[in-house]
Amino acid sequence: MRQPSDADVIGRSLVEAEVFGLIYDRHAPTLLRFLGRRVGAEVAEGLLAEAFRIAFERRKAFDSGRESALPWLYGIASNLLLKHRRGEARRIRASARMAIGRAVADGRASAAAMEARVLLPRVAEALESLPDGEREALLLFAWEELSYQHVADALELPIGTVRSRLNRARARLRELLEASGKERVRSR
Amino acid sequence: MKTIELVQRLRRDAALDPAVLERGRKKFMAQIQSESVRPPQPTIVPQLPYHDIRAALEFLERAFGFRELPGSRVEDARGVVGHAMMAFGDGLIGVGGHGGHGAVSPKSDGVVSQYVSVYVPDVDAHYERARAAGARIAMGLRDQFWGDRTYEALDLEGHRWRFHQKIRDVPREEWNWDSSDPNKG
Repeated sequence: MRQPSDADVIGRSLVEAEVFGLIYDRHAPTLLRFLGRRVGAEVAEGLLAEAFRIAFERRKAFDSGRESALPWLYGIASNLLLKHRRGEARRIRASARMAIGRAVADGRASAAAMEARVLLPRVAEALESLPDGEREALLLFAWEELSYQHVADALELPIGTVRSRLNRARARLRELLEASGKERVRSR
Repeated sequence: MKTIELVQRLRRDAALDPAVLERGRKKFMAQIQSESVRPPQPTIVPQLPYHDIRAALEFLERAFGFRELPGSRVEDARGVVGHAMMAFGDGLIGVGGHGGHGAVSPKSDGVVSQYVSVYVPDVDAHYERARAAGARIAMGLRDQFWGDRTYEALDLEGHRWRFHQKIRDVPREEWNWDSSDPNKG
């Protein structure tokens, strides 16, 4: 028997609301993981509830041509994250410190540890300084491992715009990493 | 420098607590159930006659994405279906038997006396779905002079459906309708 697609389920939920519970069962774990990565477990719980409330309210607008509802849900959750930029920045800086800690603890790879110590705080800083649209596209791509098409679906953008945002984000990161690298050299 | 890899090194998962998901589900389901969901109640409801209502209901759902309204099916003791309602967006149709109310299925005499227009969110995707489900395409996808993108399909018994998506605003002065064009509008 063919599993009903998300589009089938959401369509059906227009007349039988409870079947939307299936969308929760299918995607809430992924979404909770996503939100947890971005703002930590505590805030993520509230945002998950908010995201599903919004999704349910907007289910009529779901594009029934799309098989999976996940990119759409990512988009809704991404929007909610905008209000939590500060907490997110703190979390990313802490993640950089932890990643350095891990690299340093692994004594055999001291070159890698050095590299981590220098680069990761800069990556954290650079991520923070990206415009919202670029950062969102970059993190959906790099952390959630969404395809270009799914990032485009999530952010409701043409795929070409996603491509150029990711290119810009990468270029900007590279630039910021190199610029701060030069400063270090100069200041020595 | 591999920027994506560097970014990935900053990914840190929060512990995933199943109890959080369960709590969230309970609250969410309660929220859903508190909403009274009514079937659409449009002012005009086309009624379409079919020889095989069961097959029609199945096909219209699979090919076009229409949904049978729960509890709308009229069925006798032998399991013969007499009528059912189908919803799509805020639209509604009736699916009834051939010959009732003076309406005949195109399957009998090959004559279609009307077609039904349906607006969909993504007409290209809808086209693919309908074609994959075996709908006969009567007119392929095209951009129309008044700003819709459309295609037309025949269902199992030959009823004709036109699916639309509004893709742009075209000022009336720019409508170039030509009565001699066989594919006009």
